[in-house]
Amino acid sequence: MTRVSYLIRESFVNMRRNLLVVVAAVLAVFVSLALALSALMVSELFRVNTLQWQEGTHVIVFLRDTRDGIGLEAHQSLLREILDFDAVEGAAYVDKAGAYEEFSEMFANTPSIIREIDPSVLPASIRIKLKDIKKYRDIEFRLAGDAAVRQIVAPGETIERLAKFSTAIDVGGLSLAIVQGVAAVVLISNTIRMAIYARREEVSIMKLVGASNWFIRIPFLIEGMLEGVLGAGMAVLTVTFLRRWVSSFDGDLDIFQLVISDDYFYRWSLLFLLFGALAGVVGSAIGLRRFLKD
Amino acid sequence: MIRLQDVTKVYKGGTVAVKDMVLDIPKGEFIFLVGASGSGKSTIIRMILREEDATRGKIWVAGKDITTLPSWKVPYLRRTVGTVFQDFKLLPNKTVAENVAFALEVLGRSRSVIDKQVHQVLDLVGLSEKHDRSPNQLSGGEQQRVSVARAFVNRPPIMLCDEPTGNLDPSTSVGIMRRLDRINRTGTTVVMATHDHAIVDAMRRRVVELEDGRIVRDESTGRYEEGANS
Repeated sequence: MTRVSYLIRESFVNMRRNLLVVVAAVLAVFVSLALALSALMVSELFRVNTLQWQEGTHVIVFLRDTRDGIGLEAHQSLLREILDFDAVEGAAYVDKAGAYEEFSEMFANTPSIIREIDPSVLPASIRIKLKDIKKYRDIEFRLAGDAAVRQIVAPGETIERLAKFSTAIDVGGLSLAIVQGVAAVVLISNTIRMAIYARREEVSIMKLVGASNWFIRIPFLIEGMLEGVLGAGMAVLTVTFLRRWVSSFDGDLDIFQLVISDDYFYRWSLLFLLFGALAGVVGSAIGLRRFLKD
Repeated sequence: MIRLQDVTKVYKGGTVAVKDMVLDIPKGEFIFLVGASGSGKSTIIRMILREEDATRGKIWVAGKDITTLPSWKVPYLRRTVGTVFQDFKLLPNKTVAENVAFALEVLGRSRSVIDKQVHQVLDLVGLSEKHDRSPNQLSGGEQQRVSVARAFVNRPPIMLCDEPTGNLDPSTSVGIMRRLDRINRTGTTVVMATHDHAIVDAMRRRVVELEDGRIVRDESTGRYEEGANS
């Protein structure tokens, strides 16, 4: 017990003596990990948003109507045909009334536009959801010559591009997180090296009176761990505030969701705190290696 | 207690510090290692502490061959050996009592045992009154007495002293030697490397003289210089 309390006391004495260096290390770890955690959150936002888009409508088939000599029967027959396609997961028919309703919702803030529009000019459509978003070209090809089809719009193309962009953000975010994580380890290692260098006389006396290498190491490992946890804690706190601030704008951008789930955020926050502790211990161990060979 | 058998130490660069040395130091003996600078005195002390490895030969300390001791066991060897150096090696940011207690904290002794032993050993070296002073507030002789107290607080069977009076005036040196003599009388083996003629001549203990890493004289009750016996 004396030993444990001695080791913990020594860690705090060390930190107090080298306060400036410790503050520098904590701030450096904080910046590294705050950047890494932010990068992960941004990539998660992109993932969530593209996922949401991917789950929506992939292909919209606008239909000709009675003015073009096409009746409702042809619409229903085309819908049945589409539903039989292998690549199609589901399809829904939106008639003229439905299209007008949608239009009214979309322009709810500008009633003058709604007043100007004649409901009969809005085309009925079939909204298709695909099993695999990449198949939208097959659908376009198969429906292109159909008499009932007025126009085919495939948001899938945009979504596919966004998915690629999201992957790039994912890879970039993860790479940044890894680089910043390594930077945190290196910074802590350097701090501990400076701390042990400042106390080399003491360490040599400790060895002289028979202190084991572990006995000498532990206070430095505790110091590194505390620096890592403090830096990571500050990073998590900062990103928590950032997340709250960004979430407050949710709804301002119709097409982009700005909320990250609690589950995802808390899981990563906990992992970052653990990583901070681990980076501290590993960094210290690296810093100590040169001084405590035997 | 300590035995060197055909020990040779060659430093990097080829300097031979100790050559084919054979030396037996029985338990409870007080032995002076004398000789010019570079004769190998400090190297012997460093090898017994395993701060240096012997290039060839065997060294036994308390019945164990320390040349084959794995490095993780070296701290255990050092706990059986008290050390006193010319430059005291005290921690300036700790008080006298804390400097002495340090040697026991490292061993994980309980607080009550530490307090009791520190008090006893400071009494032995006559520094009880100054237990809360910083080393900087003490004279050279007092600092060396703290160093002796720290070396002895764990009651080691062996004390190694490398020029312990090298930085002290003659009267202070006598004070230090009295303490080491007292410690030796408790049964502790004392090995002391020194240049101090007066001390060696006054103590009349075993003297081993070294020259270029070899023993050139070994007398059971010797003086600093050969032929000065009377």
